[in-house]
Amino acid sequence: MEEIARFLLGIPPFSQLSPEQVEQIGNEMQIEYFPAGENIIVHHGPPSAYLYIVRQGSVDLLREHEHGVQILDTLGEGEIFAYPSLIRNKPPIATVRTREEVLLYLLPAATFHQLRRTIPLFNRFFATSAIERISQRLQAHDANAAPELFRMRLRDLIRYRLVSISPDASVREAAMLMSQHDVSSVLVESDPPGIVTDRDLRNRVLAAGLSDATPVTRVMTSPVLTLPTDSLVFEALVTMLQRKFHHMPVVEGDRIVGMVTHSDILRQQSKNPLFLPRQLQRARTADDFRAYADQVTATVGSLLDAGARVNDLGHVASVAYDALVVRLLQDAEATLGPPPCPYAWLAFGSEGRYEQVLRTDQDNGLAYASDAPSGAAEYFAALAEQVVGALLASGFPPCPGKVMATNPEWRQPLDVWKSYFEQWMSMPREHTLLRVAAFFDYRPVYGSLEVESVLRPVIRRGRENRVFLGRLARVALRQHAPLSFFRQLVLERSGETRDLIDLKVRGTTLVVDLARLFALEAGCPRTNTVTRLHHCVEQSSLSPSGADDWWQRSN
Amino acid sequence: MRSLVRWWRSVVARLVDPRRLEDLPVVVQDYLNAPVPAGRLPWRDVPYTVLDIETSGLDPRWDSILAIGAVDIEGGRVRLDRRWYSMTRPPEPSKVAAASIRIHGLLRQELAQAPPLEPVLLELLSRLQGRVLVVHMAAIDVKFLDRALRKHFRVRLRGPALDTARIGGVLLHNERMMSGDDERPRDTTLRSLAKQAKIPVHPQHNALSDALTTAQLFLYQATRLQKQGKDTFHKLLRVGGCLK
Repeated sequence: MEEIARFLLGIPPFSQLSPEQVEQIGNEMQIEYFPAGENIIVHHGPPSAYLYIVRQGSVDLLREHEHGVQILDTLGEGEIFAYPSLIRNKPPIATVRTREEVLLYLLPAATFHQLRRTIPLFNRFFATSAIERISQRLQAHDANAAPELFRMRLRDLIRYRLVSISPDASVREAAMLMSQHDVSSVLVESDPPGIVTDRDLRNRVLAAGLSDATPVTRVMTSPVLTLPTDSLVFEALVTMLQRKFHHMPVVEGDRIVGMVTHSDILRQQSKNPLFLPRQLQRARTADDFRAYADQVTATVGSLLDAGARVNDLGHVASVAYDALVVRLLQDAEATLGPPPCPYAWLAFGSEGRYEQVLRTDQDNGLAYASDAPSGAAEYFAALAEQVVGALLASGFPPCPGKVMATNPEWRQPLDVWKSYFEQWMSMPREHTLLRVAAFFDYRPVYGSLEVESVLRPVIRRGRENRVFLGRLARVALRQHAPLSFFRQLVLERSGETRDLIDLKVRGTTLVVDLARLFALEAGCPRTNTVTRLHHCVEQSSLSPSGADDWWQRSN
Repeated sequence: MRSLVRWWRSVVARLVDPRRLEDLPVVVQDYLNAPVPAGRLPWRDVPYTVLDIETSGLDPRWDSILAIGAVDIEGGRVRLDRRWYSMTRPPEPSKVAAASIRIHGLLRQELAQAPPLEPVLLELLSRLQGRVLVVHMAAIDVKFLDRALRKHFRVRLRGPALDTARIGGVLLHNERMMSGDDERPRDTTLRSLAKQAKIPVHPQHNALSDALTTAQLFLYQATRLQKQGKDTFHKLLRVGGCLK
């Protein structure tokens, strides 16, 4: 019996209860053993009569379609399922099938409901699931926050137990320090800083036959990829899954203040039925990618319904869509062979601004090294064709203005891109500005080509260029706000959307455009509208109350 | 006809027990009269009680039962809400050997305050009524219980019962045959089998913990046998039955 209580105490939500409470819960448990490939609960089948906890083995959450099985997630030891069905007493939203032989603990429905009634902590844990939130929202219209992973930032997750070592140390000293502090990585205080992990000690020291006196600087990874403390946990997770590494140093300013591991996050994630990154990793076919994009859209849509902040969501959705683009580019590189020279995949417009909440048109381009060898143009044409095609298949409509990497105009060596920007800034014609404003929101999504150091200075020079700023302001103001300032709704007067508001065009464009304008004026390199407004308060002609006002409006 | 049946039952009862069946406590009568689950039933449809006892030694003639732990399996699920544990007072608590205390951890003074064996046996029989007994290394536990029942009520422990050590032995043997690997473990102790099955091992030498480990081991074994086509109670008994 103690063994069951000990196990339960290690997993949320039981870990938040007292040992006495957990022991009592253990006394009500049932235990069942399933062979591989057996359904435990069935999508649209009868409501679940138990809360299930995986004690040993793993299960798949899946849905069956006429064209196959879509695996949504895989749950392992310590993970919990069937509660959405249990809470609502509705048919399960997915089938749960054993992946291998599985030992499960079962908490009967009556006990589960009684625990929710009597233990607020227990109830709150299950109430924070997205599904519950949405169903609550449908019933009560008062949900106001997104699930943890979409709300939590790295600062909430890092445990400040950064272990660091001097660059003069040997790998043996690093190993001793790691074992002493029971951590799986150590920060090397070199300049720039580096990181040595368990895996490095195995792969780069032991397997490579190096002596234990080898300096840490020889086997460390440096420079390291870092994320600021205010990044979303979700973003860190996607990044780590993409790059296949398990440790992410977290920075405040330019100081590394903590380390977040893959398992820290997954432990966090196991509380939430949000399975997007792992689903992408598993995707193989065009249908899988489409399913992934659908899933992102659906999740984001429901979070929006549940009252999540639009700015957070835009960030989340962009991260999720970026992950898709990166995956598609990697697949394309795998079919076409390695790129002949460095390149960068660029996102423009709402995606560049981290504001792409729902699937909008593709706005992308490609820059490659100015000294590209011959044949590079053909290679990148094929690459763009494949990726844009796959994005189309995943449900991202083509850009009506043809701002896509398949368009040769937007698939150019970096020096051509630089000349584009210079031209737009030096000879700002209004009709061109209207068309190209979105380019100022560019953001490199993938690729090793360093774009920022070439293009950003050009844009930054716009700061002094009052003619350019003035033209941009005029272009922005020419677009009317949907509220004919402020109360009357202005509906579209023509076309298919007659009597409807095109919120994308009318609602946010003005705010977005003006934020861009102020950012250019302030020389701010950020592309997100809200961030721009925040950054620009002190350095441009925007007043603090104005920034606040707009910030509210763009939400 | 009905009187004929009654007569036949009394003849059987007298064979079982020189005392008249009617003279026995109702609990014991019910235990003896309960029907045995049909052999054609799928294994999950049979009710089981998994049992473990702690004793002061290995010889039922001299040693006594100190504690009984049991947990039910219903519909293929271990029911922790239907677990049971009781210590029993040995005839002479002061004579429980120190060596055995080191194993089961039951102190002489705890045992001295425990209820005597007879009411504990009655409780046990009421729990076993109509259920199939599952024990690990049945030889020892069954001998002790059988002897206790004969002594207190002059009845025998009823079968059929299942021995997880026997089932484990058969499964290990089959695996050796399949893999052609003669080096595979032959150890059929509870701990070893549980570890091979990758099921959690509960702290040992507590009657309830051992019963719980045995119960989970049994689920694992029955699931394995089911995959090999041995999916009925009858087939399970042919692999690991005892106490016919």
